[in-house]
Amino acid sequence: MNLNLRTKLALKIQHMIGWITFPAWGGVLIALMRFVARYRIPQLREIRRQYKEIKKSTTQPIVICSNHLTKIDSIIINWSFASVWSYMRSFKYFSWNLPERANFYRNIVLRVLCYLGSCIPVDRGGDREAVKKSLDKLAWLLKKGHTITIFPEGTRSRTGRINPEGVAYGVGRLVRAVENCKVVCVYLRSHSQDTYSGIPKRGSEFYLTMEAVEPKTEHSGLRATRDIAFQIIEKLKEMEQEYFDRLGQGSMENSYA
Amino acid sequence: MTQDEVFSKVVSILTKYSKADIAESDIKMETSILDDLKVNSARLVDIVLDFEDMFDIEVEDEDADKVRTVADCVELIMSKQ
Repeated sequence: MNLNLRTKLALKIQHMIGWITFPAWGGVLIALMRFVARYRIPQLREIRRQYKEIKKSTTQPIVICSNHLTKIDSIIINWSFASVWSYMRSFKYFSWNLPERANFYRNIVLRVLCYLGSCIPVDRGGDREAVKKSLDKLAWLLKKGHTITIFPEGTRSRTGRINPEGVAYGVGRLVRAVENCKVVCVYLRSHSQDTYSGIPKRGSEFYLTMEAVEPKTEHSGLRATRDIAFQIIEKLKEMEQEYFDRLGQGSMENSYA
Repeated sequence: MTQDEVFSKVVSILTKYSKADIAESDIKMETSILDDLKVNSARLVDIVLDFEDMFDIEVEDEDADKVRTVADCVELIMSKQ
């Protein structure tokens, strides 16, 4: 990991501007989701309590690894995990993420929102050295105590289910680069989400479960990177199976414990 | 192992991951893995791990990042043998 001073300064400035302006855009964003899109997270309090406990249980940086079905998954996760007030107190917990440049950097409004919302654009499937630069930024941020959200599948699942075939190994590399970082696997899905989409349907109700894991590997080098990425994907597959099992049993309302 | 032998084995591995409509005989040293063979960069790790298995070598992340063309693959393998 080799970030120059200019890049580190740029990240610090981005974080600071995001934090200062957060009461304005963060509040508007949540109001839009709640009152315009009418999104609901029935177990919001319980989810926040669980995440708070995970944060309390560790002094290590946190990498949130989630399944990926819509373009606003990382926003829903941030909304689920803490209140606007909590993020104002400690904006380091508002997670950074790596949106696809082609999707989010098309116009100035989205660019500004992404900048404020702690995004680092990445060209998926592109040059590995460019991807590595983005991962280096995330590793540096993690070491500074920031939180990161990453989608191990690399892209929104076209089938609507976790897709191990498409797994990107960046997550394994990131976990290896930051010693003892805590991985929080998240399974997020709206009940009305059949497959991938841009944004969830209006009135969507979200199910979210999380589990903290510490992937270990006996391998070294690239094999270790792949092994860690596979472990995380396997955990997400388990969580997905649990979702569909509960859905089949009709026990979703009481299933968040 | 000679450079030609390494090249031939590298091509056989790359064609497994290529999404481009390209014949093995059209793959040259200067062929770009991402642009010409349309290999997703995430699969580059799998390719390099196949190299490790086939040539009994070990490649670090940093070395794998530098791989762009078939020639880069051949040079990387030759340098590790």
